[in-house]
Amino acid sequence: MAADPYATLGVKKGATQVDIQKAYRRLAKKLHPDLNPGNKAAEDKFKELSAAYNLLNDPDKRARFDRGEIDASGTEQQPRQYYRDFADREGWSGYSSGAGFADFNDFAGNDDILSEIFGRAGRTARRGRGADVRYHLELNFLDAVNGGKQSIVLPDGATLEVNIPPGTRDGQILRLKEKGRRGAGDGPTGDALIEISVLPHPYFVRKGDDIHLDLPISLKEGVLGAKLKVPTVSGAVAVSVPKWSSTGRVLRIKGRGVPRADGGRGDQYVTLKLVLPKKPDPDLERFVSEWQPSDSPRQSMRV
Amino acid sequence: MHLQEFADRSHLDSTTIEAWVNAEWLVAHPPGQQFSEQDLARARLIQDLRGDLGVNDEGIALVLYLLDQLYGLRCLLRDIQEMRTTASERTN
Repeated sequence: MAADPYATLGVKKGATQVDIQKAYRRLAKKLHPDLNPGNKAAEDKFKELSAAYNLLNDPDKRARFDRGEIDASGTEQQPRQYYRDFADREGWSGYSSGAGFADFNDFAGNDDILSEIFGRAGRTARRGRGADVRYHLELNFLDAVNGGKQSIVLPDGATLEVNIPPGTRDGQILRLKEKGRRGAGDGPTGDALIEISVLPHPYFVRKGDDIHLDLPISLKEGVLGAKLKVPTVSGAVAVSVPKWSSTGRVLRIKGRGVPRADGGRGDQYVTLKLVLPKKPDPDLERFVSEWQPSDSPRQSMRV
Repeated sequence: MHLQEFADRSHLDSTTIEAWVNAEWLVAHPPGQQFSEQDLARARLIQDLRGDLGVNDEGIALVLYLLDQLYGLRCLLRDIQEMRTTASERTN
């Protein structure tokens, strides 16, 4: 500590022990890291303050410092782990209390994640509740959309059965009540929080509760129209493609999207894509070469 | 850690520790009264409050009660912030 301990405490050289103690207590309230968890700089300043106080609060050390026999260094303390390093980490520690917002339940409204947070808060008001444990689960696209049972193997070898609700989203957090760490004493067991990642599907894309799909069709199907089998998340369905359908035409299949909590379902949107045969077809080439289009598809671009 | 190690590292005697557990300033975990590093840091905070900061026992109970609420609120805020970040990442 290079700074002058009197300056650090903000007292005069001749200050009494009582003045020094008062000055320390006034500053410590603002600088003790555990009492100021949001102040990142507090730790260094509090270290300096404690060192200054340790020097000046001891009349013998203070006298020797005043006579110039010792300097302000050498009074620094060992690094220590503060309570906030534990209590202010991610996740809820055993001591955190929800009493400060137990009455905000109404505020949560219908938002399921918010009400889960507030619901948990109500339960943490009792001392010694076990910690929540976080897991990560990767789901296939269709397993997430259609729901079902999945199991997670825990680090200790046990398995945890997880019920995936239909329509589960990427990033959603599922809560398994009382599947976390055991509480202290007769405190309640914590919850298991399972964060879901949904893997992409080769051709289905989810947007909200709707499913989008690009559907390749042949030239003949586009020109003449056809009744086609189209995959949906709940199995293939027959769909009529109207005659004279170009690439980009969108067909809606009602009620074939993602299941919703209210029992309804989103829709599936099918975007048609006219695709030529993979191999060049001489018959088609001959046929098209004799065909004279009446207008240019690029008319609006004026080229 | 067990009571003995906790007493050594916190420079508290076991009677004091038991009194703090009874007052619910600290929680001993089963099986057999285990303490964590967090409990140790909490004990040091209580020592700071009682010692240099001159808080009496009634005051300690009050400070801890309010601090537990403060840290609870900070956890809640962090959860909400995390939730909002996840939600906005999903829409992007």
